[in-house]
Amino acid sequence: MKNLNIMKFTKMIKIKTISVAMLSLIVLSVSCTDEFLEIGATGSLAEAQMSTQAGVDGVLIGAYSALNGVYGNRFEAPSHWVTGSVAGGEANKGTDPGDYSSINPVQRYEHDPTQGDLNNLWRGRYEGVSRANSVIALIAGSTVLQAADATRMKAEAQMLRGHFYFDLVKHFKNIPVFDENVAASDVALTKNTSDAAAWTLIESDLQAAYSALPETQSQLGRVNKWAAASLLAKAYLYQKKFTEANTLFTTIIANGKSPAGAKYALLDNFASIYDASQDNHAEAVFDVEAAMNTGSVQNANYFDDLNYPYNTGSNGPGNCCGFFQPSFQMGNKFRTKDGLPLLDGTHDLAANRVKTDYGVEAGDAFVEDAGELDPRIDFSIGRRGIPYLDWIEHPGKAWIRSQVYAGPYSPKKYIYYKAQEGTLTDASSWTRGYSTMNYTIIRYADVLLMAAEAKIESGDNAGALALINQVRTRAANSTYWVKNSDGSDAANYKISNYTAFASKSDATAALRMERTLELGGEGHRFFDLVRWGVAKSQLDAYLQNEVAQGLVTKFGGASFVAGKSELYPIPQIQMDIVNGGDEVIYVQNTGY
Amino acid sequence: MQKLMFKATLLLLMIFSVLTYAQTTVSGTVLDSDGNPIPGVTVFISGTSQGTITDFDGNYSIDVETNQILVFSSLGFSTQNFTVGEESSINISLEESTEALDEIIVTGYGTETKRETTGAISTVKAKDLLAIPTGNIEQQFQGRIAGVTVIANGNPGSTSQIRVRGFGSFGGNNPLYIVDGVPVDNIDFLSPNDIASTTVLKDAAAASIYGARAAGGVIVFTTKQGERSAKPTEVTIDFVTGFTDPNVGGAPTQLTPQQLADWTAVAQRNNAAANGTAVQYSHPQYGGTAVATLPDYLYASGVGSGLSASQVNVAAVQALYESDPINTFLIKANKTGTNWYDAITNTAATSRIGIGFQGGSEKGRFYIGIGSYSQDGVILNAKLRRHSVRMNSEYDITPFLSFGENIQATYRENRASGAGNGIASADDESQVLAAYRMATIIPVYDEFGSYASTKAAGFNNGRNPVRILEQNYADDKSYSLSAFGNMYLDFHPIENFNIRTSIGGSVSNYYYTDYGYRYLGDSEPQNSDNFGEGSGTNIGWTFTNIATYKRSFGSHSAKLLVGLEALNTGAGRTLYASGINPFSTDKAYINMNTVSNPVVGSNNYDGVTFYSNFAKLDYNFKEKYYVSGTIRKDGSSRFGTNSRYGTFPAFSAAWRATDEAFLQGVSWLDELKIRGGWGEMGNSNNVDPANQFSLFGQSKSASYYPISGGNNGATAGYYKSRIGNPNAKWETSETTNIGFDATLLGGKLDVIIDVWTKKTKDLLYQIPLAATTGNSAAAPSVNIATMSNSGIDMQFIHRGTVRSGTIGYEITVNASTLKNEITALAPGITYFGGSTYRNISPIRNAVGQSLSAFYTYKTDGYFDNAAEVSAHASQPGAGIGRFKYVDSDGDNSITPADRQFTGSPVPDFTGGVNLNLRYENWSFSTYLYTSLGAEIFNQSKWYTGLFGSFEGAGKSALALTSWNPTTLDNSGGPIWESASNLSTNGAANDWYIEDGSYLRIQNISLGYDFDRSKLERVGIKDLRIGVSANNIATFTKYTGQDPSIGGVDTNFGVDVGNYPVTPSYMLTINIRK
Repeated sequence: MKNLNIMKFTKMIKIKTISVAMLSLIVLSVSCTDEFLEIGATGSLAEAQMSTQAGVDGVLIGAYSALNGVYGNRFEAPSHWVTGSVAGGEANKGTDPGDYSSINPVQRYEHDPTQGDLNNLWRGRYEGVSRANSVIALIAGSTVLQAADATRMKAEAQMLRGHFYFDLVKHFKNIPVFDENVAASDVALTKNTSDAAAWTLIESDLQAAYSALPETQSQLGRVNKWAAASLLAKAYLYQKKFTEANTLFTTIIANGKSPAGAKYALLDNFASIYDASQDNHAEAVFDVEAAMNTGSVQNANYFDDLNYPYNTGSNGPGNCCGFFQPSFQMGNKFRTKDGLPLLDGTHDLAANRVKTDYGVEAGDAFVEDAGELDPRIDFSIGRRGIPYLDWIEHPGKAWIRSQVYAGPYSPKKYIYYKAQEGTLTDASSWTRGYSTMNYTIIRYADVLLMAAEAKIESGDNAGALALINQVRTRAANSTYWVKNSDGSDAANYKISNYTAFASKSDATAALRMERTLELGGEGHRFFDLVRWGVAKSQLDAYLQNEVAQGLVTKFGGASFVAGKSELYPIPQIQMDIVNGGDEVIYVQNTGY
Repeated sequence: MQKLMFKATLLLLMIFSVLTYAQTTVSGTVLDSDGNPIPGVTVFISGTSQGTITDFDGNYSIDVETNQILVFSSLGFSTQNFTVGEESSINISLEESTEALDEIIVTGYGTETKRETTGAISTVKAKDLLAIPTGNIEQQFQGRIAGVTVIANGNPGSTSQIRVRGFGSFGGNNPLYIVDGVPVDNIDFLSPNDIASTTVLKDAAAASIYGARAAGGVIVFTTKQGERSAKPTEVTIDFVTGFTDPNVGGAPTQLTPQQLADWTAVAQRNNAAANGTAVQYSHPQYGGTAVATLPDYLYASGVGSGLSASQVNVAAVQALYESDPINTFLIKANKTGTNWYDAITNTAATSRIGIGFQGGSEKGRFYIGIGSYSQDGVILNAKLRRHSVRMNSEYDITPFLSFGENIQATYRENRASGAGNGIASADDESQVLAAYRMATIIPVYDEFGSYASTKAAGFNNGRNPVRILEQNYADDKSYSLSAFGNMYLDFHPIENFNIRTSIGGSVSNYYYTDYGYRYLGDSEPQNSDNFGEGSGTNIGWTFTNIATYKRSFGSHSAKLLVGLEALNTGAGRTLYASGINPFSTDKAYINMNTVSNPVVGSNNYDGVTFYSNFAKLDYNFKEKYYVSGTIRKDGSSRFGTNSRYGTFPAFSAAWRATDEAFLQGVSWLDELKIRGGWGEMGNSNNVDPANQFSLFGQSKSASYYPISGGNNGATAGYYKSRIGNPNAKWETSETTNIGFDATLLGGKLDVIIDVWTKKTKDLLYQIPLAATTGNSAAAPSVNIATMSNSGIDMQFIHRGTVRSGTIGYEITVNASTLKNEITALAPGITYFGGSTYRNISPIRNAVGQSLSAFYTYKTDGYFDNAAEVSAHASQPGAGIGRFKYVDSDGDNSITPADRQFTGSPVPDFTGGVNLNLRYENWSFSTYLYTSLGAEIFNQSKWYTGLFGSFEGAGKSALALTSWNPTTLDNSGGPIWESASNLSTNGAANDWYIEDGSYLRIQNISLGYDFDRSKLERVGIKDLRIGVSANNIATFTKYTGQDPSIGGVDTNFGVDVGNYPVTPSYMLTINIRK
């Protein structure tokens, strides 16, 4: 009996032990787990930390950083070398057919909406818009900012936002537009009905920036009042608001100054515009800063890294990759007669073409063109026999990847000097072609020419003549012409001023030619041709000329499609993302 | 330290605690019911710790006293006792137990017998893991487990793509590995010699005890332990040595120098015809005439490219070389052609040695394993080294309390050599691809012994891959030092009740250096000499407490397990730095202080914590009806408080039908168990730990700006880097499994078949955000998509003997089917894309398709003439000899909308056949693997099969079958020309897609076991010597190098120069003492 009790007791103990042990496991589980499961993010900041002066300024700097793109795609270049210059016929892709072949459709006006590079341009600029909106929203929500700082920072953000929208509207025209007040959830539902909303916001942003920004900035990378004014005037011009444009340009020419306080002026030496040691000069109205040693070549004109002569070795800059070769026609346009360009298109006639070494082996003899040329040809185009900055004389075919495919020329603007290698270039990535030269989104020569255009359209041919001649006069300063090593001029340069414009159409022809001679390769041409309504005729003529001069593989069969090719397609991926629901949000541009 | 000393002493004591005893000797043979000898039978004296094991011929010999009881036991046979009388010879016949069923299987947090299992569980024999030396055990699963898909490549140390029952998620589908109870993300540190058992838990019924982390399946490894007996310490030595052949003969054929020159002229003619112009023969090497001639010199510094012998003054170039050696080259044409694949590969040595000590006493047991593995890759300078020491021990502190530990220290060195470090990055442009992009006329070295490269004009921008491999990789170091293991206490105060508390984890450190040298002989030389180095440290831990209780009452028996677990997947820091242009490239000189432009970075992370409770109840009635239920609740720091916890239940049942009376008389059916299970498992691998937070970040590339206007340095800027979703929760995979295990024909045939489905819901998916919302902010993962997987897993094992038992055989066939389908993404979203390769985007992950399906234009042959071009729908770039795309939407215009789904890289069927034969002392085995129904997007054809892609570079023999007016639509590729557009090399189309099915003879091996009687004289028990040949033949229609192509889950099956699996030959020596 006793035994039984003991057994019973042991059994009880057993069951108790087991129950206690098992229960305790479960009980343990409920306590103190929440804290254990709280693990915060590392290496990041919460939104609350960004509302201070330093925080807002940091986000503003982030918005500035979007000026040269965000995703490191070359189509995001502020210079629009692909979508502005290549598409504008000033240059072709260069190199060979397979290399970076997604540029091929751009140069042939065969855009594919699914093309990822265009999507990156779209994404990069909208990221800029988004960052600018963040700045403005943070300022509105912050209670700790000094009023003066808040005003300035908001104006800077508005200027940037206006610029990003401007870039978008000139590529895609029909874009969704929203400001910082649109709720995040509604942003993706904003339709792309037309360009009207974009222009309205661009004007109001730039007007606000023009009013609120200081004339000078202690940090020269920041935009100032006159940059905003210039961009606003340019926006007027794009909308054909010539009266407003004319008035504002006149004010800018009279009073404009750089963030450093220098009155706007043309530099004496055309080459100084493309010289990192001269950055933030008096001709720079709105530019994108570049620097070395920043930890990323995305701050050092990464978008131009391919745009150097090919296979130069240590004799030349970059060493890679032979992209962005100026077109035959671009060269021909520099032909002058009595110092003036051939405005009737005859520069492409066989007799007037600039002689090139197309088809001439590097080792074979070649005599350069002896005819009259605008001296700006040798600041703009690398061609055989002419000193290539302070490198060697351009050796012709030896520096061209596939001459038969892409022609004989090399790019020359925005190329760094031999003397600057390593001191004004960033050597930390795969090629040497990362320069610290600023890209100038608006330079004063552009302001003068845009002002001239506004004057022509306002009936003031004489006013336009003076401005155009001001630009030509600088180019005519023979002190700075490209020289051979013996000090003689590298070619037979001849440039003179226009004496008068007989008619509006003469003035217009001169102005349009002057823009490409002065600003060639700086990303403006395609958008100029489109807003002038002459893209089809000009670009078909360009294509025909290139084929006639030999670039058959590249351009054979290509043509500009009027009513379609003026605009880039809305990236298909964006259409797919926003149109997934019941409602159509984005409508594709005509023809795509 | 004291603890360590104690442990060491303990171990030493165990090793030497070998008792001796001396009586009469009894010997005999143990046979099976067919009269075949059974090797490896444990023979021990009951009530003592003495024992032995039968040799290969079933012979044993043991010292024993009269009336002692000998116990004969062996896995798969029923145990027999024999009371010793006066006899000196005792021959025993063992019955096959029905009762492979008593085989112990290690499952989640415990063990069960095969009889008890109700879920879908497979095991891999430990010896199978040893068959082919590989750097990563998982590769050995290929074809050995039904339901497990393994895609492996030949790169030493690479991680395979291993998927248990398909793909449940858009990423993070790796199975959960459990090593001695501790979860780990990868198992590359494990030495196969140390593994005792491997169990794959495939369905929820088996795996959901691991709850939130089980959706990708669970693979449980148990490392070796000694035995609790006083048998002498057993020493095993496993030694393998051999070599891998790069299989140069199997490499795709490249154009010879003359062919490439001729075909360059062909292309120029074709270009002219396409453009309607006169032919321009122009190439820097082959001259300006219709008949291409090969130059004598490809390049001479100071002279140029494409030179005849008479144009080159060798002495002058030599003089130039003396003054400027790094920038002077004299490259002679290799007119016979360089085999670049041969040049970048070599025959590579492999060796593996594993030494194991195992033993024990009644109170404890131990295992010590020392392993060393060394494998060189066939690609120059690829290598893997792994050295490990493992100590496992267990000791009874008191009769009711034992302490045990498993610990392994590992040194691992892996140099990837430019061919992708893992199958996950198989789509990298590798040095294998680079080899095919070099024109064959370029020699490996120039006349001065420098590397010859594309400084010679006309060959595009390739870089000499031999130089890259020899210069840039030879100096690289990458190694890790890690310790992994756990310690546990088992408390068992009363019978059938046990509490185990265990703390385990890993500590690891890694370091790497990376050298890259500028080389002016390339057409696009890298800008500078660069040097990088980095290191990191990681600590992860797991704390587990489990209580189990078993109870039988009458015909009922039940087993209850409850547990709680807390873990951190790993917190740590990384540090990296790089810089350029040190004054000297002397390695002894280079460090971060001697380079220019040093850039440093670091990272810290706090890991992800989990807190979990779980319980499992198993019940059976008369060992005939089984039911089992599991539930686990997990909480994780990965999710916000709103939905931090997930609960994962599973139920399963089994019926041993053969125990029913009505099946007792069926003589051919020995055992039939029908199983069914349902359950849910979770996954959270594919979501960022910061997913719940909205954050701002900074990036040197994307948010810094030189705001001061200077040319040096930039100011930090910030941007919205993440949009948080505090409501994200677990992905849940719901599985159902119905199957049966049958043993037939007197134990000679086992059949295991499982039919399963796995449906994942609440799949975490980053809905792509419109660019207008600011694409630099990472989109939050939201629980929105669904995916389904289904398949049938089959295993057949047939064993038996022929010729009256002299030849024994066992043949195992594993087969599984898999159907994977994305069933929903998000409202309004029907697909998301994959990577783009040189503007070719072949992949679309779309609803109704498998992961990573190929979505391309479909070709309808080529345009054979101008009439076809004009009759066809308008197609950008259309031209004679170019791809003709199907106008699938019938709008008479070829647009992106005409693309179709044209293939899937997910194999429909994978399987393996394993055959073992035994004749006297000889044993033979072979092992085949097959993968059927997967397609491969052969992106390497873009580089080498189309003239216009990197014109001038090396091209393949596809040129010879390219479109021409004779072969028309039967041509091997489009017309040979420069044009680059949608109709040539500008779009993904089905020309690149090939059947990736293959059958591979993975292993053939032959072994000889020496007679034990002879070995005794030299003091060893077993000696086996074998030879094997691995991967000796692959049968496939795939034209690329190797059809085993992996990648990440949403982006795989694209061959951009995959590291091939090539044959290897091994000698094996196994010694047991």
